[in-house]
Amino acid sequence: MQQNHTQLADDSYFAAVTNAIRTETTKLLSEGTVAAVIGYQAGTRAGTVIPTIITDAAKAGDLVFSPGCVNNLALYLTKAKKEVRPAGKVAIIAKGCDMRALAGLLGESQLKREELHIIGVACVGVKGAGAGSGEALTTGTIARKCRECTVRAPEGADVVVGAVPPLPEFSPVEAEELARLEAMTPAERWAFWKGHFSRCIRCMACRQVCPFCYCEQCLCDRNRPQALETTPRPAGNMAWHIVRAMHLAGRCAGCTECERACPMDIPLNLLNRKMARELKTLYDFEAGLVPVEKGPLTEYREEDDQSFIK
Amino acid sequence: MEHDFEPKIVAFVCTWCTYAGADLAGTSRMQYPSNVRVLKFPCTGRIDPVFILRAFQKGTDGVLVSGCHPGDCHYMAGNFHARRRFAAFRQLLEFIGVDLNRLQFSWVSAAEGGKWVEVVTELTERVRAMGPMVEFKELEMEEHWSGKLDSPELKEAYQNI
Repeated sequence: MQQNHTQLADDSYFAAVTNAIRTETTKLLSEGTVAAVIGYQAGTRAGTVIPTIITDAAKAGDLVFSPGCVNNLALYLTKAKKEVRPAGKVAIIAKGCDMRALAGLLGESQLKREELHIIGVACVGVKGAGAGSGEALTTGTIARKCRECTVRAPEGADVVVGAVPPLPEFSPVEAEELARLEAMTPAERWAFWKGHFSRCIRCMACRQVCPFCYCEQCLCDRNRPQALETTPRPAGNMAWHIVRAMHLAGRCAGCTECERACPMDIPLNLLNRKMARELKTLYDFEAGLVPVEKGPLTEYREEDDQSFIK
Repeated sequence: MEHDFEPKIVAFVCTWCTYAGADLAGTSRMQYPSNVRVLKFPCTGRIDPVFILRAFQKGTDGVLVSGCHPGDCHYMAGNFHARRRFAAFRQLLEFIGVDLNRLQFSWVSAAEGGKWVEVVTELTERVRAMGPMVEFKELEMEEHWSGKLDSPELKEAYQNI
């Protein structure tokens, strides 16, 4: 299976990014510019990484960047993770897609730009679902979101590390899947989603990993009155996923962490992308390019389309 | 007139316009289908998409959301926000596979008793022609493990206890 796929970046690219991150971290921490750096360190299995928070310049050597750096670290800056978020100015390693989440959080007043030092990574891509930890980043193992990435060179970062080598054209797997779904009849789509949602075990990983799900009390946890059934039955699952998509509409930055974290492999990003596209069509809004105070569903124009209203 | 199927219609209405409009229809002795169950809210901006989902899950066949005309909102902009929210929500429902003919949005002012009758009658007759909404009801009846409890593996496991 591997022989048809070409490797996307040689080890020197990742070594260069890792070195640049370490140098920047050492500088920031020893100068006292930031109190902590949120980055990736090597996991216990070769090729895996875990998110880490470094406060000591001597530990800068722990930081790495590899094709396994899938996590969106913006999560650790949100209210939902306030117990791990260090006080004071924080530096964060952010890929282009993570930058979009940061822009969204800045727009929603969850972060202050002056308390943030963004180390942007010019990113080749990360490995997708099903890629083994030992496998290299190839045209076959690259994540679905990275195949259609438009933000390889992050903009608006305080410092950008790495340089993206020339990449081949990728076929847009996810866009094709979305087009396939849209071409279906409503009954077929219902069957598709019913099949997927019925498998949901309501572990809430999609919510826990989402940088935008920072509400201190989630609607789906409330039981008096209960808006959504909490047990993993198909009816409640369907409602949960509809509500999740609705609450992220116009906010989701498309980091696809929900889909990655899902243990049941539910294609959650199809919903997010569908909503993003509808809001682009309806209100010409694209989430997370620059911080904006109001999203498409929190503002309005008098001349908004109301052809569907009698 | 006798019908084979009487659809259940839930109407989420704003108290300032549509509720008053429906009241006007009543005091004017206009006739409209009794299939509609009216739920009164302070404003269309208070009507959460979850309410619509819940109505479908609990067995309604059609949903009507109605409030003040744009510019007439008692709270200045509630209906403007609702308009955007429901424009997005109906796209989501359609993507999930719900027939949007079961969902109607309308602006009915306090003076439009006639329009209320028209909207309710049209939705009721349309949903009646479509038949019952079975998707959510079937989902409500299902359990994760339904129909699979008597698999050969489980039977064997049971025998070995």
